[in-house]
Amino acid sequence: MADIVNLFEVEPGQKVGLYSGATAEVVSNPRDGVWLFVRYLTSPDDPDQVGEEDMVFAQDVLELMTD
Amino acid sequence: MAITFQPSSYSGLVDRDNGMVSREIFVNSDIYAEEQERIFTRAWLFVGHESQVSKPGDFFVSSMGEESVILCRDRQGEIHVFLNSCMHRGMKVCRYDEGNTPIFTCPYHGWSFATDGALVGVPFYKDAYHEELDKSQWGLIRVPRMVNYKGGIWATWDANAPDFLEYIGGFRTYLDILFDGWDGSEGGTEIIGGIEKWMVPSNWKFPAENFIGDRYHNISHRSVDLVGIGPSGQGRRDNSEREGAKSLDVSFPERGHGTVMFLRPEDAQPVPSYQNDPIVSEYFYQCEIARKERQGQLWRILAGPGTIFPNMSYLPRQPRSIAVWHPRGPDQTEVWRWFLVDASAPPEVKEFLRQYYIRYSGPAGLTEQDDMENWNYAHAASRGAMARRYDYNYQMGMGYAVTDFEDGGLKLDGTVLDTTKARAGEQNQRGFYSRWREFMAARDWDGLATWRNNGSAC
Amino acid sequence: MVVANDPLALLLLKQDVEAFLYHEANLLDDRRYEEWLDLLSDDVRYWVPMRRNVKFGELEREFTREGQDINWFDEGKTTLTQRVRQILTGVHWAEEPLSRLSHLVTNVEITEATPSAADAGEVSLRCRFIIYRNRVATETDILVGRREDRLRRVDGQWRIAQRQVFLDQNVLLAKNLTFFF
Repeated sequence: MADIVNLFEVEPGQKVGLYSGATAEVVSNPRDGVWLFVRYLTSPDDPDQVGEEDMVFAQDVLELMTD
Repeated sequence: MAITFQPSSYSGLVDRDNGMVSREIFVNSDIYAEEQERIFTRAWLFVGHESQVSKPGDFFVSSMGEESVILCRDRQGEIHVFLNSCMHRGMKVCRYDEGNTPIFTCPYHGWSFATDGALVGVPFYKDAYHEELDKSQWGLIRVPRMVNYKGGIWATWDANAPDFLEYIGGFRTYLDILFDGWDGSEGGTEIIGGIEKWMVPSNWKFPAENFIGDRYHNISHRSVDLVGIGPSGQGRRDNSEREGAKSLDVSFPERGHGTVMFLRPEDAQPVPSYQNDPIVSEYFYQCEIARKERQGQLWRILAGPGTIFPNMSYLPRQPRSIAVWHPRGPDQTEVWRWFLVDASAPPEVKEFLRQYYIRYSGPAGLTEQDDMENWNYAHAASRGAMARRYDYNYQMGMGYAVTDFEDGGLKLDGTVLDTTKARAGEQNQRGFYSRWREFMAARDWDGLATWRNNGSAC
Repeated sequence: MVVANDPLALLLLKQDVEAFLYHEANLLDDRRYEEWLDLLSDDVRYWVPMRRNVKFGELEREFTREGQDINWFDEGKTTLTQRVRQILTGVHWAEEPLSRLSHLVTNVEITEATPSAADAGEVSLRCRFIIYRNRVATETDILVGRREDRLRRVDGQWRIAQRQVFLDQNVLLAKNLTFFF
């Protein structure tokens, strides 16, 4: 289990893995420690989401991906 | 003994005909609670200055009555005023004083709002709300009426309130002097960084009535006059321009606003002032010449302190500033003070004024310190069961005002009391409390916009 | 810089500086304002900023700026002297009758001594203060914060050349600031 991600440490361009199984690229960080603006890269449960922009809540973020 | 005040009670508390006002309206907590409903949810209130939110995403947390509001400029550049309270469980969505942000996020459950107030982030929207929550219905509460008048941002919670300029009426002449450039150019002012905020143990109406035109309290400032902190090194202000001027108290009792001023003689010419500093002196001298050219007769007005009903007071000349008296219970006022300068003034002028503003105003200001001592203990000594039985006296100059003032071809709106010889009068305070009484008694703006019935816009 | 290689000299300097700070506090609390003014260098800078609530990572905007923004105080000896003269008029109602004050100065740290601790002509220090004010009957204010001073030796005596006061308040809870920090 990954450590909880501190959203202040997330930079635009980085990728995050979500508990839903989706992955997303960070578009911008509002720097409130609670939300990220992202674009979905993969979304096994909801393939239509891919390419969509959305806000992601801190508790939905599983991990910061390193590739 | 609990006293319940009915709308009809207020005519007894403010005795217009005899110039007396009950101390109850300052110290009674039931009346205070009524004021929050009847005055602060209905009147136009000053929120801030557009120069405080110059870029998209800029915000400034202000106050309307007791309530925290957010003044912000959205991504499209539009200015808004929102209630600073999350729509889910009421938490303040912004506990910073000012800054720049893309969203306001509630720290309690995480609801998040865009700078246009829209609810954009709802945690577990899919799982817990099953995507059934209509986000469009749960944005931040927006004031129904807001106006940017020459840079000053004003708002009211009452959708039926008259337009701001109708609310201001003939007082606009004086409000313009505050917000226009010193040379008379439209709206040429900006805020100097740093808003003073401090607590004064007194009812909010004490400072409001003081600023509306209390020339009588000069003795309060004896010590600073003796020391001399004025821009020319004497007194507390620079009075050279007042040579030969008439001293006038101007009230708009049907609206509650009022100001004092000096009216220069018809043949007056600009005179040098602020002579401690040649650059500053020259700047103001040139501005005065330009304004005289632009405004003609109106240039003769040397505007003094004023109050716009209910709780915005200001000094239009130096130290040019706005004070809002935020009510914080019957016995406490949170004062906020903004300082204005001409946006286009040279740096030397802005710096000269900044230093003068600091030494004059606010809790550390040599002038204002003594006011607060008086408001504090006047209030404290009026709270007792015995003390509150005795009305305050506002009879000075009753019956001496005119409604058709004219001097050398210059006609003035409002009710004008010439205090040149008298040196002081209390008609402006009477106008303020008369309007207070109307606000407390009237059911709605149909009842409050009394000038519409009279067919007079004075 | 602080002279770590001469601890004894630093100790003696600290003792000397603390004695000066306590003497200064006594003058203020004993209402010997004119003598207090004599402790200020002619070019003294006295700055008390206001303090904002700012977002995480934006602490550089916390304080209003000296020389640029509105501050509680941002002045030199001329205005400080006017403040003293005002109290001494006898009609400065905010200090008439005079408040009762106690300045507690603590956590004194010397941060710089030039040219050396053993022969310091100028000293920078950091300390904490508690100012207790009681006036008229029951009116009480407690102001707490950090102070950063620069002292200069003039004719063998310490003089205050700079004072910066960082108050631990946002909305000032005192109705006025008619005293000196």
